[in-house]
Amino acid sequence: MPGEPSEYKPLPGGYDELVGENGQSRAELGKIPDLFLKKTPEDLAHTQNLAELSLRNQGVTFSVHSDQRGSEKIFPFCHIPRILSSSDWASLEQGLLQRLTALELFLADVYGEQKILAAGEVPREMVLSAKFFLPELVGVKPPHRTRIHIAGIDLIRDPQGNFLVLEDNLRTPSGVSYVLENRLVSKRVVPQALTEARVRPVDHYPTRLARILREISPSSTDDTCAVLLTPGPYNSAYFEHAFLARSTGIELVQPTDLYVDQHKVFMRTTRGPQRVHVIYRRIDDTFLDPDIFRSDSLLGIRGLINAYRNGNVALVNAPGNGVADDKAIYAFVPAMIRYYLGEEPKLAQVPTYVCARPEDRAYVLEHLEELVVKSTDETGGRGMLMGPQSTPEQRETFRQQIEADPRRYIAQPQINFSTCPTLDPKTKQLVARRIDLRPYILTGPSGSWVLPGGLTRIALEEGSYIVNSSQGGGSKDTWVQQAEVSS
Amino acid sequence: MISRVADHCFWLGRYLERAESIARTLNVTRDLALDGGFEPHQCWRPLLIVCGEEPIFLERFGASKIADGEIVQEFMSWDQQNPDSLLRIVSAARENAKAIRDLLPMEVWEICNELFLWLTNGARTTFLEERYEFYRTVRHQVQLMLGLMRGAMIHDTPLDFIWLGLMIERLGQTARMLDMHHYIFRSLTPAQTHQEVETAIWLSLMRACSAHESFLRQFQGRVSAQTAATFLFLESRFPRSVRYCTHVSYERLCDIRSPSERDLPGHRALECLHELDEWIAQVHPSQMKTPEIHDLLTHVVNEATTASNLIQREFLGG
Repeated sequence: MPGEPSEYKPLPGGYDELVGENGQSRAELGKIPDLFLKKTPEDLAHTQNLAELSLRNQGVTFSVHSDQRGSEKIFPFCHIPRILSSSDWASLEQGLLQRLTALELFLADVYGEQKILAAGEVPREMVLSAKFFLPELVGVKPPHRTRIHIAGIDLIRDPQGNFLVLEDNLRTPSGVSYVLENRLVSKRVVPQALTEARVRPVDHYPTRLARILREISPSSTDDTCAVLLTPGPYNSAYFEHAFLARSTGIELVQPTDLYVDQHKVFMRTTRGPQRVHVIYRRIDDTFLDPDIFRSDSLLGIRGLINAYRNGNVALVNAPGNGVADDKAIYAFVPAMIRYYLGEEPKLAQVPTYVCARPEDRAYVLEHLEELVVKSTDETGGRGMLMGPQSTPEQRETFRQQIEADPRRYIAQPQINFSTCPTLDPKTKQLVARRIDLRPYILTGPSGSWVLPGGLTRIALEEGSYIVNSSQGGGSKDTWVQQAEVSS
Repeated sequence: MISRVADHCFWLGRYLERAESIARTLNVTRDLALDGGFEPHQCWRPLLIVCGEEPIFLERFGASKIADGEIVQEFMSWDQQNPDSLLRIVSAARENAKAIRDLLPMEVWEICNELFLWLTNGARTTFLEERYEFYRTVRHQVQLMLGLMRGAMIHDTPLDFIWLGLMIERLGQTARMLDMHHYIFRSLTPAQTHQEVETAIWLSLMRACSAHESFLRQFQGRVSAQTAATFLFLESRFPRSVRYCTHVSYERLCDIRSPSERDLPGHRALECLHELDEWIAQVHPSQMKTPEIHDLLTHVVNEATTASNLIQREFLGG
């Protein structure tokens, strides 16, 4: 009936971000959820239209490879925010910082003395066989000893409301530009709710990033030249590359703009060669330097890795980080936290069966129908089997693949992760859709900092668990509330 | 050129620039206020001070309403008794444009007229429902007029007067805006003095001066009180800096009447701008810090007012 708020029903058995078990807005979020839940479908649809128009005008797009026309699409956005209370956020933040510290120590160790392997806490062959482990870099110390300058940790929330780490992204995590752009949209279309919710700003991320890029420079910070290296306008994340270059004030360069001479990196400019000290590269390790990785690669800068080895250029993130976000190594992160920090993990993670271990493999092959199987070195939701939703043929394919190359597979129980009220574009009703959260952590010589909020991705299809943008996912603004000021 | 016509040109330039600047500043201040971390009055009061409207506002609405962004925006957009409301400024720009319709490209007059008609009929809904779009439309229509005049008029005395008015207006706006943000910076409470809040202030200032990308590129993302002030005060290549606006004002006036022709009207105005231009060239980046910068900016604002008054008196019969 027009003029009446639609009735929102969370999914049974799951945790809903805005609505509690009693069907009312969560107490810790005050009256903010009601500012959205009590709106009429017409109002919600109107605001949603404004939001989409705004995103189109801002040119917030991504290109989809599978699309024949190579057209640019708007990253689907729902204007109803995901809201996190200040206390939920505070404990999450502590957990993320602890995890990052351990992962950073792990990388330093693996590319150094390999003590944790000697101690047997992480199986040696598991590390040495990781696709993104780079033996060429053992013994190389990056400028200022930081390797994970930018991390994106994917989290989900279980039915009890606990955050669980789903995966670590320590190579070139993407998506932060959507966090900043989504906030601009919120400011435009729901200013009143944003004011009342007292949300922590996200605007200063690029300034922090720019400072870290200067701080890790092998040169004195005053004449440092930092650049952002993009594969070019045809890359699916080009929008983000341009966004970050613009908002940090650094030059956006393509591989052909750079060359290496005498182990130093230079940029070709109208005023001759200009020395480059820091490269925030949005190119995979394997395409960085054809001398080292793929001689067939047309991308890449010949001699870059040697310049890096000589300490003449800082790479953000450091090459070789992929060994730490390998999905099989993930199973050992709690062990790393205990080994390096002598602490219990503050953030839980999803129980994981590592198919390289015979007993785990046997269990996985017997329970394919219940488990989510993931390839250890793929991203973007590719190489996955969603057991409960799969067909017998799909399970058979995965069985053969696991048996052929067990190191490449892990399996996890399917977690019924949390939902958030989302506007259904067709019916204009509020529906429960599953969401995840990717917070971003910046690390420089002076420490780590977590951007308050992060990217909330939505599985837009009813009942779906797939939030990846390449597979029809969308996003929401993430509102972290300010802590009450104690006077 | 007839003095009266020159007067209309000068004020058309001033009002168009003021409309754009106020629309931009209202939008940017609104963004700043939406980010937690500031008290509403810390954002809106300085805006009223920059526009010189604080006394009128206080008298009309009382001190408590200065924290109410909606009332401030209403006052600065629609108030008939506020000479600096967008409605009154655009109306004044249109009156000046109408008086020199014969001189302006047809399109410029049409856009000016359309903008005014939209404000009196239709824009109210946009203001209430899509605030960002409202400010954006005002800015874009003004920018369109400025671009058309530069691209379609003979670069001669009439356009020189329009541009002189625009640059003098912009000079005052940039100087006051910079001063206002140093004022916010100084008024932060101890709980607020951290990197996040400071960055927000200076980036907000840069957006208010259309300087966001240029500034970040110039300093590779170094955001501080000092880099912000250095850029907006001293950067001779940025078309909204104090230095640029002063210099171009002087150049326009030189084209209107050459410094060598001492007996023509406008000699004292020219000298005033020349002195200010030379004075700015002496200012050193090390002086770009709070609170010293306040005195420098006050000098700039006063001299810009003097120059404008002299132009008015010597050329325009005012």
